[in-house]
Amino acid sequence: MKKARLGFACAALAFALALSGQAAAQSTQITMWSNWPDEPAKRDWVSARVSEFEAANKQCTVKLNFIPKADLYTQAKSAVRTGQAPDIFYMEPDQPEFLAGGYLDPLDGIVDLANLEPWAKAAWTSRGKVFGLPVEAYTVEMYYNKDLVKQVGVTVPASNQMSQAEFTELVKKGVASGITPVAQGVGDRPFPGAFLLYESLLRKLGPEDYGKLLEGKISYSDKRIVDVMTWVKSLVDIGAYPKSISTLKLGESHFYFYQKPGALVFPIPSWFSGRAFAPPANGGMPADFPLGIMHFPKMDEGKCPDCKTLAVAGSYVLFSGSKNKPCAGALLKSMATVENGTKWMEQVSLQTGIRSDPAKIKSQRADYFAELTKRNQEAKTVFFGTPLFHYRGKCADAFSQVMNSAFPTGLVSVKEAADKMDAACFKG
Amino acid sequence: MKEASLPIVQESSGPAGKNPVGPEMDPRRASWPVLAFFLVPALAIYFGLTAYPAFKTFIDSFFLIEGRETSFVGFAHYRELMHDGTFWVAVRNTMIWSFIAPILDVATGLLLALALYAGVPFARFFRVAWFTPVLLSYVVVGILWMWIYNYDWGVLNVALRAVGLEHLASSWLGDPNLALGSVMITHAWKWAGFNMVVCLAAIHSLPSEVLEASELDNCGWGAKLFHIIIPMLRPTLLNLYILAFIGKMKVFDLVWIMTAGGPLWATETVSTYVYKRAFNWNTFDLGYPSAIAAVWFGVVCAAVLILNRAFGTKERLEY
Amino acid sequence: MSPPSMMGPRDRGAVQMPRLLGRAALAAVILAYTVYTIGPFLWLATMSVRTTEEISRDHYAWPKTFHWEQFHQAWVGSNFATYFWNSALVVVAAVMVVTLVGAAAAHALARYRFRGNRLVYAVLFSSIVFPPQITLISLYQILVGYNLYNSLFGLTLVYISLQLPLTVYLLEGFFSRIPQDLFDAAKIDGYGDIEIFFRIVLPIGMPAISTALILNFIQLWNEFLFAVVLITDPEKRTLPIGIRSFMGENFQDIGMIAAGVMISVVPVILAYIFFSEKLIRGMTAGAVK
Repeated sequence: MKKARLGFACAALAFALALSGQAAAQSTQITMWSNWPDEPAKRDWVSARVSEFEAANKQCTVKLNFIPKADLYTQAKSAVRTGQAPDIFYMEPDQPEFLAGGYLDPLDGIVDLANLEPWAKAAWTSRGKVFGLPVEAYTVEMYYNKDLVKQVGVTVPASNQMSQAEFTELVKKGVASGITPVAQGVGDRPFPGAFLLYESLLRKLGPEDYGKLLEGKISYSDKRIVDVMTWVKSLVDIGAYPKSISTLKLGESHFYFYQKPGALVFPIPSWFSGRAFAPPANGGMPADFPLGIMHFPKMDEGKCPDCKTLAVAGSYVLFSGSKNKPCAGALLKSMATVENGTKWMEQVSLQTGIRSDPAKIKSQRADYFAELTKRNQEAKTVFFGTPLFHYRGKCADAFSQVMNSAFPTGLVSVKEAADKMDAACFKG
Repeated sequence: MKEASLPIVQESSGPAGKNPVGPEMDPRRASWPVLAFFLVPALAIYFGLTAYPAFKTFIDSFFLIEGRETSFVGFAHYRELMHDGTFWVAVRNTMIWSFIAPILDVATGLLLALALYAGVPFARFFRVAWFTPVLLSYVVVGILWMWIYNYDWGVLNVALRAVGLEHLASSWLGDPNLALGSVMITHAWKWAGFNMVVCLAAIHSLPSEVLEASELDNCGWGAKLFHIIIPMLRPTLLNLYILAFIGKMKVFDLVWIMTAGGPLWATETVSTYVYKRAFNWNTFDLGYPSAIAAVWFGVVCAAVLILNRAFGTKERLEY
Repeated sequence: MSPPSMMGPRDRGAVQMPRLLGRAALAAVILAYTVYTIGPFLWLATMSVRTTEEISRDHYAWPKTFHWEQFHQAWVGSNFATYFWNSALVVVAAVMVVTLVGAAAAHALARYRFRGNRLVYAVLFSSIVFPPQITLISLYQILVGYNLYNSLFGLTLVYISLQLPLTVYLLEGFFSRIPQDLFDAAKIDGYGDIEIFFRIVLPIGMPAISTALILNFIQLWNEFLFAVVLITDPEKRTLPIGIRSFMGENFQDIGMIAAGVMISVVPVILAYIFFSEKLIRGMTAGAVK
């Protein structure tokens, strides 16, 4: 057996050598840019898909680069204009300009669309076609440190959802015992500081009116919105957030929550796992960390206490100017299988827009994954997309400066924040 | 024609004051081929890689460029710019930075140069040490200073807490009232050494007779500094000021790495705003950022011309 | 301006500061400023040999065990050698070319009277004020057109154009102060215009030229914006981009980031310590006067 294999290897080698010149001419190289240089599990998943594809398709080779998101967007933006963009690149649905500019090719007929979750497909659907392969999806969650919450004398209700008053109490007790109640950092991202407020707004307004708010059809001076903002502002004034929130980076806010100095809760999307499950020596979460997931508080007179935000993040798109579409399309197709969806869930411990087989998921973080799935089942209504998925231009800029940064830092009053947002976003 | 036999490579004004050559062969004139030899490479680079792209940008500013579609909008971008609050905040910040920070830079540089000139021991070591920040890239300086300004464990706050000034410990880059100043200090930290070296050079080339005379007159250091050294270094100092001024009108990297313009636009500069509009907003439109760049180009040119006129920097040529 | 008179005032300056109190104050200020400039750097150095866990326990402790392996890891785990070589190649080539081309132009502008002299000067100089962000896109398109996008050669060309105005500005100022007599004499000795440039202007202008060299070198070595847009291939990244992507790959690993930053900085510092005398003497001989 061994001998036979060796013989085969020799033959293959000879064959390869004989053909090497020809083979080199025949194989097409495609380029692929991906985000996630700092998230090992996702990197591994992508690299594995690519090498599987290369092994199965000798005529295609893939040059895969991992580039930090900000640089990737800058480069992609200038690259598409001149037709030099990579064949496949990373994109999120909140960058609609690539689609609007005609730089993306539809995946209909290339990828088996039946293998995508309907809601994820919807995020990438435009004029009846699907333009992105939604690899990464997430829900917005409220993680907490079970031990610390217990230590300050608060019990999380059986429903895993606190009331407004209970949450205020939690924040007060945290401050009283010198523990930062809510970990959060807005130093390098335009959105984390707004999670608590906007998840609360969703639960107060219900999906319909919340959607209108994000479309600019409801003013921030609406009584219900002012109520919620006033409540969040009261938490800010008590000292809910770290004093360093405005400069804390996303990665640092993770560390802040589970390592040093530690915080009670951490409102963040479920892609929390990408950084938290890195080895502790590299800034990941300690193995024995008492992690829990609770719902965001229900609002007094809230219309939809069991609402929750679901969104699609990292996706791969096909550049319309690509000269190697057969190979590029084949790679995307090979990624979009139920089996690969299952693998993503297993390895990354995060949702995906590719369909998966829940029965087969054998996560290394089974407990965590079970809890996340349970919290998701408890949420009856799903609202699609975070504010930045809906906001554009000036309004998005105001959101990131005011709601993400100035408001949770306590720099602006409720009235000022509402006025600034209305000035930039309200369409009457 | 005795001068002609002088060793040529000697920087000496020589005894001759008059032009020994007749007007018909004025040595300050050159044939066109000679001028072309000297100027064409520079001009080619300039037109190919600076003027042409800049011109294209200027043209772009009259168009809306969405994806592959381009439509003429005339002065619409310029009109919009006049009512763009963020742009004016960016202008204000950049102006504050450009006019004030160079004073800090040049003054620090001068004082350091004087300290070295006064003959401290280990002057060579200090000269090297003080120049080191100039060598570091903005990426490195940015990382380092973000650690220094860190609220929880940054040097600054740790030191303040250690000496009991706990109430002064702040979020240096997070407070809109402090952020611009903090970034300016970091920028000054990087560039003071450069100004120091240039000032030192200028001091060393001052005519020694004047300094000797002032010593005979028994001037104090303060008097010597303000009545002799600063006036005599005026051209150097003004040139340094203008160089720093221009650098700050364009400042981008450090801000982008440290604060990206936040919090609440407190550190937004014109450059970061242009960059944001070109790359960070959900649009491909290059017209609007081009219009900002075009306006800013005019502003900076005007400012430099006015400064030049106000300072009368012409005199550096005669110096 | 002969060497003896240059040394004179300095010695006398030393004698001029007799008061002990003044001396002590001066020493204190100098010491404080030195801590201010190289303190952050030493702090970085201590962090680079400590693990992130140790650092987060106490950010200012002296390293107990020196984790040199962090350097090894940073070096192996990323392409610092490649980044370094790329930076060196691009920057050295660009600096050489821009200095020579700039010196030629500066000489013509400083020496010859011709119609449009000041106009050419103003045109060349004015580009110093142009916000770089916006030529970026057009430059990008031009490079793509010539197949120079994502190539170190293309980046070199852009770097040359970036530094040209500053070079012309610095050198024109210095060259115009070279006494005309020298040129008259040379002309009479039969030197041609081009010979004069190479045999008189360049040697005499050396102090200013070395200043321009240093300034150009520092600025390009640290250039970030154009490199990030014009280079996408990781094999062609220059050092500043390399450091940033390294940071991106080690998001919260302060110890590792510190090690990476040290690797990127140490060669420059070493080279500087080695050459500092020469460099500073060049600058001290004065260009920006």
